[in-house]
Amino acid sequence: MLNLLHHLRQLPRDSRDTLFLLGVIAWVVLPQVSHLPLWCSLLSGAVMLWRGWLAVTLRPLPARWWLWLLLVLTVGATLFTHKTLLGRDAGLTLIVVLLALKTLELRARRDAFVVFFLSFFMMLSNFFFSQSLLTAGAMLIALLGLLTALVNAHMPVGKPPLLQAARIAGSMTLLGAPIMVLLFLLFPRLAPLWGVPSDAMSGRSGLSATMQVGTIASLALDDSIAMRIRFEGAPPRQSDLYFRGPVLSSFDGRSWQPLRSGLPARMRPLPNLQVQGAPINYQVTLEPNQRPWLLLLDATPNAPLLTGFEARMTPELQWLVERPITDLLRYTARSYPDFSHGPLRPVAGLQDYLELPFGFNPRTLQLAAELRRDPRYAADDGTQLIAAVLERLRSGGYVYTLDPGAYGRDSADEFWFDRKEGFCEHIASSFVILLRALKLPARVVTGYQGGEQNPVDGFWTVRQSDAHAWAEVWLNGRGWVRVDPTAAVAPGRVGSLQRLQAPRGVITEALLGNVNPALALNLRAVWDAVNNRWNQSVLNYTQRKQLNLLKNLGFESPSWEDLIYLLIGIVVLASLGGAAWTLWDRLRQDPWLRLLAQAAKRLQKAGVQLAPNSPPRRMAEQLSAQLGPEHPAARRIGDWLLRLEALRYAPPAARRSRLATLQHEFKRLHWPT
Amino acid sequence: MPAAPSWPHPLLHPAAHVRAQFQRWWQARLPLTDSVTLTQRNVYILPTRPGLMLGVTLLVLLVASINYQLNLGYLLTFLLAGCSLVAMHVCHATLRGLTMHLIATDAVFTGATAIIGINLENRRPSTRFGIGLALLGSSHWSWTDVPAQANATVHVAFKPERRGLHRVPALTAETRFPLGTFRVWTVWRPAAQVLVYPAPEAHAPALPLGEPRAGDAAAAPGPANGDYDGIRAYRRGDPLKLVVWKKAAKADELVSRDTQQVQRHELWLEPHKTGLPQLEPQLSRLCAWVLQAEQQGLDYGLRLAGLDIKPAHGEAQKRRCLQALALCGA
Repeated sequence: MLNLLHHLRQLPRDSRDTLFLLGVIAWVVLPQVSHLPLWCSLLSGAVMLWRGWLAVTLRPLPARWWLWLLLVLTVGATLFTHKTLLGRDAGLTLIVVLLALKTLELRARRDAFVVFFLSFFMMLSNFFFSQSLLTAGAMLIALLGLLTALVNAHMPVGKPPLLQAARIAGSMTLLGAPIMVLLFLLFPRLAPLWGVPSDAMSGRSGLSATMQVGTIASLALDDSIAMRIRFEGAPPRQSDLYFRGPVLSSFDGRSWQPLRSGLPARMRPLPNLQVQGAPINYQVTLEPNQRPWLLLLDATPNAPLLTGFEARMTPELQWLVERPITDLLRYTARSYPDFSHGPLRPVAGLQDYLELPFGFNPRTLQLAAELRRDPRYAADDGTQLIAAVLERLRSGGYVYTLDPGAYGRDSADEFWFDRKEGFCEHIASSFVILLRALKLPARVVTGYQGGEQNPVDGFWTVRQSDAHAWAEVWLNGRGWVRVDPTAAVAPGRVGSLQRLQAPRGVITEALLGNVNPALALNLRAVWDAVNNRWNQSVLNYTQRKQLNLLKNLGFESPSWEDLIYLLIGIVVLASLGGAAWTLWDRLRQDPWLRLLAQAAKRLQKAGVQLAPNSPPRRMAEQLSAQLGPEHPAARRIGDWLLRLEALRYAPPAARRSRLATLQHEFKRLHWPT
Repeated sequence: MPAAPSWPHPLLHPAAHVRAQFQRWWQARLPLTDSVTLTQRNVYILPTRPGLMLGVTLLVLLVASINYQLNLGYLLTFLLAGCSLVAMHVCHATLRGLTMHLIATDAVFTGATAIIGINLENRRPSTRFGIGLALLGSSHWSWTDVPAQANATVHVAFKPERRGLHRVPALTAETRFPLGTFRVWTVWRPAAQVLVYPAPEAHAPALPLGEPRAGDAAAAPGPANGDYDGIRAYRRGDPLKLVVWKKAAKADELVSRDTQQVQRHELWLEPHKTGLPQLEPQLSRLCAWVLQAEQQGLDYGLRLAGLDIKPAHGEAQKRRCLQALALCGA
């Protein structure tokens, strides 16, 4: 090991710099490996190892045709894997390989720049997959590494230690941080400039057609926008904002799926939708979701107005179009928050909503049996049973968390009895399982709940993090009734839209796996808090928060123009500050030296040849040599110069006043021209 | 001063012509000084091509952050922007406040390389990295770091084309530290002059015959060219050049060339003795002769138009003669 270190230290500068840059590239690429095709990771790794080996053994770089060969192979493989060269995934694959291949001709400074710029796109593409604190930390290190490599490349003399370059890069980053904060706070948050390319969403697709416990956790962190809504007239209450997505009615023990009924279509229960009260008119701008789903408020009896698509409603009230939505889609709709639907009396087909897989969740079934046996509920039509279950959720120590850990085979059992924690998905799933065990037809509805209003344009924004799952129960005489069990556990989640906490990542799990549980709990609490802070303050820094900041700064009714004005104002102030500093820096020079320099300037103007840094006495000699010792100007100026010299060695007490005198005299002396 | 050597034709290359004219006007107004302290006034800054690329990268990152609504992307973009801004300042500060002194340059022969020494003085308590110096318009950079509150010396080579007294050509100092995104430079016209002797002829013929010493009775023709090998025992005070080392090595005692014998004739170097028709080749040969005579330890004099240098020898005599040759006709 020591031997290796010694060997590394002995390497010529070129090899050392190359190894360092390879390390930085590896660091940038590594987080992406799981999203890259296997061949891409292997090829890039091999190329970089090859380059490292060449650097260590001081061998020449391979011939150009190697590069071309590898490049052609890569383009072919990319086409084969992704069927295209465009789009995010194909682009990412290509960038990684280009980055690796570029190292094979890494000689000139220009190549270092190419690596530098490509790396930034890599870093940004990391954020498509994760914007967590850990990613941010890793990318900060990557940025420091890249800057260090670049600074090092611009220290042409000798073999400067990398630590020195790193220190310079670090101080630059530190000094750049205030600028970053300022821009981050004040740069207006614009809407996307154009539709997001289709495959960009695949890493974080919104709702899914099946619900396997755990998938919504990753959505909750995804702050991207699902849709924007403009309400005509007063917006509805936040607690009425249930946007209906897929209805999941069939459960196989692991995942919830849309109903595949054994009954022929004509025997299935009709939607039988009845609406009353005042409607809500609104316009939706739906981000492409790669699904044929229109997201509409409960309940929408008539098809929304949209062009290019044919919309139809399923028996479970979900609105569908005939093909996936791959572009921004706008439609207007009219919904009635006050509605009822479903058959009022038991009909064939309702039994589909009672089915539970055999052999799962025995304790939940037992709990249901006990509740059923309870004499209080003997004559109940279901209302009281539901109330009892909700009460259990409310008071049974159940906790809403985004980080419930992995659930096992009997997820409902674990939720109800062991862990007692989860998010909407776990809660809704366990709730529906329990209701079905109670012989009440029930189903899971997924969609979005809530949203936030943008005070500037009045649009409501619904984000992927607003994805939600709730339940519907069929009650005799009333039809399907919405029950949101999550509201019982975490009332803040529904209605006022409490922001969610980030789950613990794999790395923290590994870090905290073996420590004292109490300490681990504390650390976890701290980590959660830090993560929450991060989500709140950075990932969730939206235009609304921006405008709130302005309001706090004293703007009456802030708009994004005010942000620009503020930004410009700060830039102007900063420039003025810089100018003042420059002036001060110039004046900071010793006043004695400044006076001497002024005198030297006057003498030089008069044609006196002065050596650099000549002392006043020497200047006087030069002057009298030029003008003759009897020249009155030479005498007077010579005398002044000698007194200036004497001042340099005067006691400090007298210095200030005598300097002022000399400065005064300087202006009145007749300088030769 | 003769016109600039090759000016871009105003009609064929109008842009280059204007640029060259601007450059000349601009350089002419720079003060001549052997010592310059760089300030805001004489340090210039422009982004380099990679710097412009960085700008484009920042723009793309910003657009991507907007389009994908990535707050972390904003952070990255703005941090990079902040760093580049700081880098711009650091780059400018690398030259700003630096003092450059020209170190006196020795005289050289035409065609030989003159080494210009420049002393860089850093009064700041931090190192200035990656400062390059070069002749203005050349691309042979000499790079150096100037340690904190210390000096560094850089040498720049310059090859004078013609003999005479030349001004040290305009110099430029540049840095791209730390990120290479900006080029910060200054142009400096030193006041010092460098004396350029004529190029000594490569295979000059032997020295011309000496003339009888004025007033010497035995005005016989001198010895054959270069045939000065009368020797005698070494006497105290003989210049070392007169010591015949080959013989001394054999004989175990020092022997000197007998200059008495030589100096019966005065060696006068004159243009007409070269037998060449033109001035420059004449001067070249005279230059070679001066060196030859000096090497042989002879007394020699130089007669040029309107100038007589009495015969003598030694470093001072050599310099005097070479200077006269350099400035002949100027």
